[in-house]
Amino acid sequence: MDTYSKKYNIERNDINNAGTVASLTKRALKKRGLSREFVKQVTIGVYEAEINVVIHSYGGTVIVNISDDQVDITFTDVGPGIPCIEKALTKGYSTASSYAIENGFGAGMGLPNIKAVSDEMNLESSEKGTILYMKFDITEKCYAS
Amino acid sequence: MQVKDILQSKHLTLLNQQGNLNNTVKGIFACDLLSHVMGFAYEDNIFITVLNNINVLGVASLIDLGCVVFSHNIEVNKEIITKANELKMPLLSTKLTTAEITIELSKMGV
Repeated sequence: MDTYSKKYNIERNDINNAGTVASLTKRALKKRGLSREFVKQVTIGVYEAEINVVIHSYGGTVIVNISDDQVDITFTDVGPGIPCIEKALTKGYSTASSYAIENGFGAGMGLPNIKAVSDEMNLESSEKGTILYMKFDITEKCYAS
Repeated sequence: MQVKDILQSKHLTLLNQQGNLNNTVKGIFACDLLSHVMGFAYEDNIFITVLNNINVLGVASLIDLGCVVFSHNIEVNKEIITKANELKMPLLSTKLTTAEITIELSKMGV
């Protein structure tokens, strides 16, 4: 099947459109005949990362690549970065604003959720911004039966 | 069990007209933190919340939840109802507390 490759912009504090990339990615994966469970795992990863860019950064982009054997997704945002990655990966640790919390986010589960659902995750951050990479392997069992 | 079956409860009111009442409902997830819903809810769950926010619909749709129930008689924004119709997601309301409606649905065999 053809490789799917898309790039999207994500705006700061655009809570109402958060989830758009997750929704489009979900649709693309379903079209390829992948199972509900696999699609859910990827959707969770994309959604959580999308929310993180919206509520924590000054905006950014995401590139979604889907091939026959993997889904790889890279989120790149502009500052302020994550001061302590180790803490950010701890379940329940949150630095979310009251704005994010009022909108149902900021439970401190975003990055732990992404780590749990993906096959590989890499996080690099500085005061200039954050790059989050996640990969999902596509094997035979990932297809709907 | 389907959404139309749980609507037999006198405690539940349907808020939107274009939700799919044939959606299967199996199990309950009651929570107001969306990352917990994303991480721990299962597809076809009934999602009970007081979070009066459009992102409730995004999450419910993304992980294929069966329906959303707003507890504590909260007044749901029109924007949410419109979005739910677009997504065909059934929206229900109850005057009961989250705990009370969870018990009620459990008694119904969800």
